[in-house]
Amino acid sequence: MKEEKAGETPQWKNDFPIDKEEATHVSRREFAKFLTLFSGALALGNGAIVLKSIAFPEKELEGQHFICEEGQVPMGEMLQFEIEGDKVIPYILIHLEDGEWRAFEQKCTHLACAVIYRKDLNLIECPCHKGYFDPKTGVVTQGPPPRPLPQLEVVIENGKVFVKAKSHKA
Amino acid sequence: MSNFRYSQKEAHPNKTNTLMTGITLLLILLVSIQIWLLYSALNNALTDNFNIALGTFIGSSVLFIAAAWLLRYLPEPRKPKIKE
Ligand code: FES
Repeated sequence: MKEEKAGETPQWKNDFPIDKEEATHVSRREFAKFLTLFSGALALGNGAIVLKSIAFPEKELEGQHFICEEGQVPMGEMLQFEIEGDKVIPYILIHLEDGEWRAFEQKCTHLACAVIYRKDLNLIECPCHKGYFDPKTGVVTQGPPPRPLPQLEVVIENGKVFVKAKSHKA
Repeated sequence: MSNFRYSQKEAHPNKTNTLMTGITLLLILLVSIQIWLLYSALNNALTDNFNIALGTFIGSSVLFIAAAWLLRYLPEPRKPKIKE
């Protein structure tokens, strides 16, 4: 009698017919497949970036824009201005201590905080995470921003300050 | 006929375990490289660096194909032992 019982499969095994060993085996396979799926998603995401830069190339600013009179911004000061295109983009105009003019987009390249020119440091500062940019070139000198600030070219004509898209860098 | 699949099925579970671990590690490596590529694409291509966008996309796709190809070598699940 007893021997017969031992040979029989218990009821629960019929309801759930998966060996423990088998179960772990399958889950590792699934993990590998999931990793591959993830890998495909990453490749796809990268493709989306390519498509985006083909479909919506960054538009350059068109024409010259009048900003202010030369006398309005003393040396070492900055002026905030906006240019309306498809979207309104805030910029800063800086009159450097050596008399040169610079114009940059005001959005920090890290997380888009507004940057300001610090006369005492002679640096452009992003107050959010202490990112610093060179006020001559817009290059990141310190902190988390990954890219330089986009720059405009400043043109002075008859005491008036204009900006236009930067003629392409060499 | 003896091929990879055939010998794999005959192999001792310890060997399939090693293979499984190897494949998993390789996949993790591939995915990490892809994450790095995507990260640099996001950092550079958001301005106007089209070549980086394209380059990382091609690289990432190649890695994905490699990952998919690796799946061919996954050991098959064990068949439940057939009881007489
Ligand atoms: S947003 Fe400018 S440093 Fe983070």
